[in-house]
Amino acid sequence: MTDRPAWRGLADPTTPDPDLVAVLTELFTDYRSARPTPTAVVDLDRRLWQRLEDLGLTRLTGSETAGGSGGGWVDAAALLGLAAAAAAPVPLAEHDVLGGWLLEAARLPNDGGLRTVCRPDPSGVALNVTWARDASRIVALWEDRDQWRVSDVTVDRVGIEERRNLAGEPSDTVEFDLDDLEAGTVVAHEIGEQFHLRGALARSAQVVGAMERVVEVVLEHVRERQQFGRPIGRFQAVQHLVSDIACETALARAATDAAVARAAASDWRDPGMLFAVGVAKSCVGHAASVVVRGSHQVLGAIGTTLEHELHTLTRPILARRSEYGSLQDWDETLTALASSAGRDRLWSLITTGRAKAHRTT
Amino acid sequence: MSARLVPPGARELPALTELRLEVRAFLAEQVAAGAFVPHVDTWLTRWDRDFTRELGRRGWLGMVIPTAYGGQGRTYLERFVVTEELLVVGAPVAAHWIAERQIGPSLLRYGTEEQKQAFLPGISRGEVVFGIGMSEPDSGSDLASVRTRAERVDGGWRLTGTKLWTSGAHEADAFFALARSAPLDPAHRHDGLSQFIVDLRAPGVTIRPIISMGGDHHFNEVHLDGVLIPDDRVLGEVGEGWAQVTSELAHERSGPERVLSTFQLLAAAAQAMDDGRLPTDPGLGRHVARVAALHHMSFAVSTALESAEHGADADTAAAVVKVLGTTGEGDIADYVDTLTATGWALDEELDTLLHAAILQRPGFTLRGGTNEILRGVIARGLGMR
Repeated sequence: MTDRPAWRGLADPTTPDPDLVAVLTELFTDYRSARPTPTAVVDLDRRLWQRLEDLGLTRLTGSETAGGSGGGWVDAAALLGLAAAAAAPVPLAEHDVLGGWLLEAARLPNDGGLRTVCRPDPSGVALNVTWARDASRIVALWEDRDQWRVSDVTVDRVGIEERRNLAGEPSDTVEFDLDDLEAGTVVAHEIGEQFHLRGALARSAQVVGAMERVVEVVLEHVRERQQFGRPIGRFQAVQHLVSDIACETALARAATDAAVARAAASDWRDPGMLFAVGVAKSCVGHAASVVVRGSHQVLGAIGTTLEHELHTLTRPILARRSEYGSLQDWDETLTALASSAGRDRLWSLITTGRAKAHRTT
Repeated sequence: MSARLVPPGARELPALTELRLEVRAFLAEQVAAGAFVPHVDTWLTRWDRDFTRELGRRGWLGMVIPTAYGGQGRTYLERFVVTEELLVVGAPVAAHWIAERQIGPSLLRYGTEEQKQAFLPGISRGEVVFGIGMSEPDSGSDLASVRTRAERVDGGWRLTGTKLWTSGAHEADAFFALARSAPLDPAHRHDGLSQFIVDLRAPGVTIRPIISMGGDHHFNEVHLDGVLIPDDRVLGEVGEGWAQVTSELAHERSGPERVLSTFQLLAAAAQAMDDGRLPTDPGLGRHVARVAALHHMSFAVSTALESAEHGADADTAAAVVKVLGTTGEGDIADYVDTLTATGWALDEELDTLLHAAILQRPGFTLRGGTNEILRGVIARGLGMR
C-alpha cells in the first residue's frame, strides 16, 4: 500500500481555513450560550454585529483594497453556515457577500455602514428585503431595459413598509425613487446574472449550516429524553428517523460544498455555475422538508414551544429555501438543462455543469 | 463535529478528468459500433467476457493492483472515474465487477505471495472471473450466522454448506467463501470464521440457478459438498474471516455503483422529455440534482480513503452514500414509471430500460447490506448505539 502513487495530483480537497473555523466556532458557541431565550420576532443583534465587525468578518469577502478581508467563497460559506447554526440575527449574506460584492463590481465606495441588498422591479419596488429597516444604505441591482445598474441608496431616500418573514426577521417592502435607480452605475451583464446565483448559494450555505445544528439538537435530545425507561435514541424507529435527517443534511452539504468549491476555483466564471448552484438549491430545499419535519417529530411537543432552540433553526431554514428562487423554480431550471443535454450529454452536465464536451484550457 | 458524517468535498483535477474523457471516448465508440446495448444495473446483469478482456487490454482493470502482479499500480481515485464512466454508459461490466472491487484488494491485503501471483495477473487481464459467497439460506443481514462448515483435514479443509444469491457463480471461475472454521461461541459470534478461495469447478461444487422475477438468471445457489480446499487456498488467517470481510466494506458500499445503476434510464428520460415523448416535469431536475450531489459525495469518500492512513474509518460515510444512492436509483425507476402512460405511444427503448429498472429495484436497497442495517450503522456513527 505504501508504494501507491500519489493522489495529490488527482483530487483537491476543499476545506475552509482551519484558523478561521476555530475562531468562528468559539465566537458562535459563546454567542449561543449567552443569548436570551428565543423570541417569536427576531431583530438585528447590533452587539454581535459590532463584534463581527471588529474581527473583520462583516467584510470577509471584500478585497483588501476596498477595506475587506480578502476572503474567498469557501471561507465565506463557512462563516454563513456557522452563523446560521447559531441562529445569529446578522445580515452577513446581504451586507458582505452580495451587497459588498455589488458595490465593488460597480466600483462604488463602501464606507462599511450596514447594508442590505435587493433587486427592485421596473416600478422600483422590492419585496421581502431582509434587514432593510436596519440598514444605513440599500444596494439595489436594477434591470434598466437591457442593462443592469447598481445604486447604493441611503435609507432616508426610500419608503419602507415593515414586514416579517416566516423566521420573524425583518423582511420589508422597499420603494425606491426611480431617479435613484436610473442614476445607478451600469455593470457588466454577468453581474446581473450572477447575483441570483450568488444569492441562491449564500442561502444554501446558511440552510445547510442550520440543518447541521438541527442534527446536533436532535442528537442531544434523543440521548437525554427517556421514555419506557431508556433514552428514546435506543429505539430503532427513532434511530432510522434521525439517520434520514442526518443523511439528507449530508447530501445538502455535499451539493453546497461542490458549488462553493467550483465558485471559488473559478471566481464564479465557470460556465457550470448555474447547474452547480441549482444542484445545491435543489438538494438543500428537498433536504429541508425531511429535516424540519423529522426533527419536530423527534423533539415532540417540547420542540414546538417558543422557549426551545429548534424553531430558531427550522423557521429560517424554511424562510431561506424559498429565497432566490423557489425549490420548484430550481428543479425546473435543472430539468431544462438536463433535457436539453439529452441522453448523451447528461453525464457531462453532471460532472462539469456543461452539456458540451469538456475543453482543456 | 458529530453532525458531519461525510468527509469534505474534493475537486477533480485535470489529470483525472483526462482519464475520464479517454474512457468516455472509447465507450462512445463501442456504443456506436454496437459492441453493447446500454442497459441498467449492468454490474449485476450484463456479463461479457470479451468486453471485460478488452478493458484489461486497455489498462482499465486491475487498476489498484501493483504492476508487479500485472496490474496498473494506479489509485482508487483513478479506478473511481473509470468505474463511473463504465456505469453511466450502461456497459456490460458484471464479469469483472466482484474481482475488481473486492477480490483484488482483498488478495493484495491478505493473500500469500503465491496466491497473488496465481490470481492477480489474470484478474488484471480480465481472464479470471470471481464471485463472492457470503449469504446463505438462513443468513442474510445476520452474516455472522453462516453455517457453511470448514472441517480440518489432512493438508487442508473440507467445506460443506450452501451459499445463496451468488451473482454470476455459473459464469465464474472461483469465489471467496465465508465459512465457520470453529464452533459458534455465542459470546463471540464473529470469531471462528474464515475465508477460502474455492475453485467453482472442483469436485463437490454444485451450482443451481435462481431465476429472478423477470425470468433472468444472475443469482445462484452454490452447494459445497465436502469440497477439498488445500491449505494454500485459505485466505488470510484462519479465524479472522469476519475482520477480513468487513475491512473492505467502505470501498464496497461507497462506490458509484450504489448511485448509478439506473443512470441509463434517467438519461433516456431526459432525452424523452426533450423529444416530447415524456411530459416536462421538475422531478427530472430533482433526480439529476441528487445524482450530481451523490457523485460529489462518493468522490469525497474515495478521496478520504485514498488520502487517509490505512484503516481510516469511512464506514459511516460509506453507509450514507449507500442509503441515499440506492434509494435514489430506485426512486428514478419509480419516477419514470409515474410519467409513463400506457396505451399512448410505443417507446421500446425507454420501456426496456424502465421495466428492467423496476424489476431490479428491490435488490438495490438489499444487496451489500440492507438500508435498515445501514441506518443502524449510521445511528452508531452518530453515537446513538
